[in-house]
Amino acid sequence: MGTENPGRPAFTSRPTSPFTSSPPVATPFSSTNPMVGSGASTFRPNTAAAPQAPPRSPFVPAAGLDRSSFRPPPQSTYSDPSVPSLATSFAPPNSGAFQRFSSPQFPGTAQPPPTQAPPLGQPPIQSPAAQLYSQPGSFRPPTHVPSLPMGSPPIANTMPPVGSMPQASPLYPAARVSGPPPMPGYATQQSKTVPPAPTLQSPFATAPGGYVPTPSVSAPPLHAHQGGYIPPPPVAAPGVLQTQHPGFGPPTGPIQGLLEDFSSLSLGSMPGSLDPGLESKSLPRPLDGDVEPKSFAEMFPMNCHSRFLRLTTSAIPNSQSLVSRWHLPLGAVVCPLAESPDGEEVPIVNFASTGIIRCRRCRTYVNPYVTFAEAGRKWRCNICSLLNEVPGDYFAHLDAVGRRIDLDQRPELTKGSVEFVAPTEYMVRPPMPPLYFFLIDVSISAVRSGMVQVVAQTIKSCLDNLPGFPRTQIGFITFDSTIHFYNLKSSLTQPQMMVVSDLDDIFIPLPDDLLVNLSESREVVETFLDSLPSMFENNLNVESAFGPALKAAFMVMSQLGGKLLIFQNTLPSLGVGRLKLRGDDVRVYGTDKEYTLRVPEDPFYKQMAADFSKYQIGVNIYAFNEKYGDIASLGTLAKYTGGQVYYYPSFQSNIHREKLRHELARDLTRETAWESVMRVRCGKGIRFTSYHGNFMLRSTDLLALPAVDCDKAYAMQLSLEDTLLTTQTVYFQVALLYTASCGERRIRVHTAAAPTVTDLGEMYRQADTGAIISLFSRLAIEKTLTHKLEDARSAVQLRIVKALREYRNLYAVQHRLGGRLIYPESLKFLPLYGLALCKSTVLRGGYADVPLDERSAAGFTMMALPVKKLLKLLYPNLIRLDEYLTKGSYLDDELKNAIKRLPLTAENLDSRGLYLFDDGFRFILWFGRMLSPDISKNLLGQDFAADLSRNQVNFTELNHEMSKRLFALLKKLRETDPSYYQLCHLVRQGEQPREGFLLLANLVEDQMSGTNGYVDWVLQIHRQVQQNA
Amino acid sequence: MWDLYAWLGAFFIIIALLIVIVFQLMCLADLEFDYINPYDSSSRINSVVMPEFIGQGVLCFFYLVTGHWFMSLLCVPYLYHNVQSYMRREHLVDVTEIYNMLKWEKKQRLFKLAYLIILLFLSIFWMIMGALNEHD
Repeated sequence: MGTENPGRPAFTSRPTSPFTSSPPVATPFSSTNPMVGSGASTFRPNTAAAPQAPPRSPFVPAAGLDRSSFRPPPQSTYSDPSVPSLATSFAPPNSGAFQRFSSPQFPGTAQPPPTQAPPLGQPPIQSPAAQLYSQPGSFRPPTHVPSLPMGSPPIANTMPPVGSMPQASPLYPAARVSGPPPMPGYATQQSKTVPPAPTLQSPFATAPGGYVPTPSVSAPPLHAHQGGYIPPPPVAAPGVLQTQHPGFGPPTGPIQGLLEDFSSLSLGSMPGSLDPGLESKSLPRPLDGDVEPKSFAEMFPMNCHSRFLRLTTSAIPNSQSLVSRWHLPLGAVVCPLAESPDGEEVPIVNFASTGIIRCRRCRTYVNPYVTFAEAGRKWRCNICSLLNEVPGDYFAHLDAVGRRIDLDQRPELTKGSVEFVAPTEYMVRPPMPPLYFFLIDVSISAVRSGMVQVVAQTIKSCLDNLPGFPRTQIGFITFDSTIHFYNLKSSLTQPQMMVVSDLDDIFIPLPDDLLVNLSESREVVETFLDSLPSMFENNLNVESAFGPALKAAFMVMSQLGGKLLIFQNTLPSLGVGRLKLRGDDVRVYGTDKEYTLRVPEDPFYKQMAADFSKYQIGVNIYAFNEKYGDIASLGTLAKYTGGQVYYYPSFQSNIHREKLRHELARDLTRETAWESVMRVRCGKGIRFTSYHGNFMLRSTDLLALPAVDCDKAYAMQLSLEDTLLTTQTVYFQVALLYTASCGERRIRVHTAAAPTVTDLGEMYRQADTGAIISLFSRLAIEKTLTHKLEDARSAVQLRIVKALREYRNLYAVQHRLGGRLIYPESLKFLPLYGLALCKSTVLRGGYADVPLDERSAAGFTMMALPVKKLLKLLYPNLIRLDEYLTKGSYLDDELKNAIKRLPLTAENLDSRGLYLFDDGFRFILWFGRMLSPDISKNLLGQDFAADLSRNQVNFTELNHEMSKRLFALLKKLRETDPSYYQLCHLVRQGEQPREGFLLLANLVEDQMSGTNGYVDWVLQIHRQVQQNA
Repeated sequence: MWDLYAWLGAFFIIIALLIVIVFQLMCLADLEFDYINPYDSSSRINSVVMPEFIGQGVLCFFYLVTGHWFMSLLCVPYLYHNVQSYMRREHLVDVTEIYNMLKWEKKQRLFKLAYLIILLFLSIFWMIMGALNEHD
């Protein structure tokens, strides 16, 4: 391995194929591998099979420990000997940071594997600097290394990962590098390396098993079993820290063991001292965006991709007591229809003749983790372990190792995500056609704002792209103080309008032709859309009979179901469901009654939502209110029907046109799953108990989702039914039964496996911050509906504190970590995201900070957001643009360099710069006060000095290269995140109050109006962690 | 003699209330075990909520007018709870949130059940005492 060409990206992809000899697939638990004692060892083959080391025994030294099972196979380590790979499994974000400093140091580092003396490579590790500053980047790397020497001595020859040593050792300099907060200074620190630790071997030799197998990050066994070697904490530093903790003395040998277990932040040792003792630059930040923990996928290569299913920890606790010590939510975030990149589409399987293969008892769908027995005549369900018959048509012989010989033609047995074509047993009625129904407000404000016109144009432009041609159905109702129905019958040349003004007793004037087949009535529909804006041009009606119109729409749609798009501009004022202006009473805020403003005022809306859901109608709300529009009530309709709320406060077509157009077009044309239900099954002993998101429960575990698409995710929490889980592995299976737009009934099945663990530390190490934060935010939003905002915020904080305290208790005593905040590498961003969540639109401040409607709309949106988008919303991108714009080439990689995310603090805003703030929902362009006028002029045109808020209207591409580059960049960024349209807001430094609420309030790391900055937040958490710790 | 009839009347009202509560609990249990869907379950429960509340009010009032002020006093907390939830418009089961509320709804009704059973025993006790006194 050492000789391998470092540049060769040999194994970047999951190397399942090379392993044919040791099948990871069909027999995950068979002990075909003689060397391995425990069942867990199954994952080893991956490690071992790294083809670079053929002569060596393919199996890593037999590791008796269960733990070893989680060791992710280090393929990535082989894939590319340069640094980033090392950071793989747990702390991917590091790799980025790493790369920056270290790559230059690497050339030619590959050496022959020092089989006997791995420690030699090691000394540099001990550079305590790395440990001291919790620079995220600096941490992981050292962690890999120690695992080597520990395990290696006894069995050095058998050790395939040896090759990683040479890779690793060059690393150390890198590790050190990042130590001191200001990166550039690092080189000097290197000299201060600490004595090598040849002695290392002995202490570890006693328990080599746990370590050897991989250079992986997690070295769980260490802390628990190896009390013997306990090193003095890694605290001793030549740098800053030593002054703070002089008592810790010089670093001694085996400190690395510690590093594997956690990361830490050194904080001021004196409680209560004002000096934070904490360099804000050294705090971990997710500047590389969300990085999914790879370990999950690596352990179980046949798991579905993490974009479909993410567990909050991919190590499932095996006992109630462990669950109670895991203070974070235990559960999953599921995005069943997440968009797959080209080439990775979910395969469609049609069991035409055999029927879909499912377990007789638990109804689990056949998946890669089922095992075949009795020469292929039976299969064992992986979830309930019942032995099922294999239907005759599905029979295939087994090969020598028990795999089916037709495995390669059976995607359902090799892929974690498949789609089955469902036969008629899965239908209660013929599959419905895609159906779009529009309910459009045409009162005066709707018309004046230009909303009606933009909507009509957009719908018209999307008619060709509506899914499901030629079955697509369409219909319209408009309303002001009366309700207008439109007869769109194909034989007509002009649509007929019928007005119903009896709001108390709604009836449908023409039961059949209000909802028509689009392809047949295409011309009538187009005529209607063309004339719609002009029809109501002079409408002076200010009332809104929203409730009755909603009922009418329900009556029209209830036959078929479908998607109802509501365009609402005025507060409902007539008929059922009329709402009051209730946001006015300032006295309610801060009291116990505050939450009532965030829940629907009239039970009518909940009832309607329930009915909609029952009849397979999904509701999307587009709200354009200028004043209070009670989104809290209207949004309920979307919440329980699996819909979405789009909110355009004070809509003006000249500003918001593009945004509405893009988002409506996406809503209409994205692939949608109709009349669907979703259920998540999991193994014996555990159960999903609560579900969070936009849907309605149809039975205890069945989510009714009238219309789902790729932008919706659902979160759920697990609980253990028994006090003890006996299985080694827990399986999850998400099944979404839906009607595709083409009219086919399908079942999308995602299967994933996760190991059970007995060790709390392992749970924390395998945690997934993204999923945790996603659940946190949903729980917090739900809490705001019954409690004060303050309570929701402190609940988030409390749970973070409890989790970190529990984690600290695992290590602190033993390692004398006095004044340091310790956390698992996997959760290094948790405090920051927690802070960002508390400062998000939903939870921020009090009455004055966010308008009520905006808060509610953000709440409904966040309840449905997939993990990645949520994280981006919580910790948006901040990029400096001026340098990129002034430089003159169009290279793609240069673009990537330009997009270097900055920490979200005002300190980073240079008044000579131009910055772009992108949270996935909008762009904010910040013009520094001293920004060169040339740039402003090139971007904004002649009147660049004018008021930017007005300038926003005509912020268009100018005929100048710089402007073109900017717009090309914006376009590119929008393409990467097409769910929403990021409207560009321009703001100049010092332009109050716009700068305040547009940008400054979103710089989550800054201290503002009574909220904590990042440093203070970390200190506060640390202080609370230490109390009764 | 009248006293005996008063106790008898109260006895029947309590039995009726018990039946209503047990019916609601059955609906919730069916829902939990997936025998009926939330729509049916909640509409069934909601259809008997008002009768239950009114019946309970009648019982309290009935005790009062028949002069059993102690029993009437015993009914007051129950009545207060009902009035409170009615005022807060929380008396009906919310079909959209029924699964999240299931535990609470069941607990609440189990309490009511226990409460009514206590009242029932007290009423029977007094009724029998009254009947014995008549004989003597």
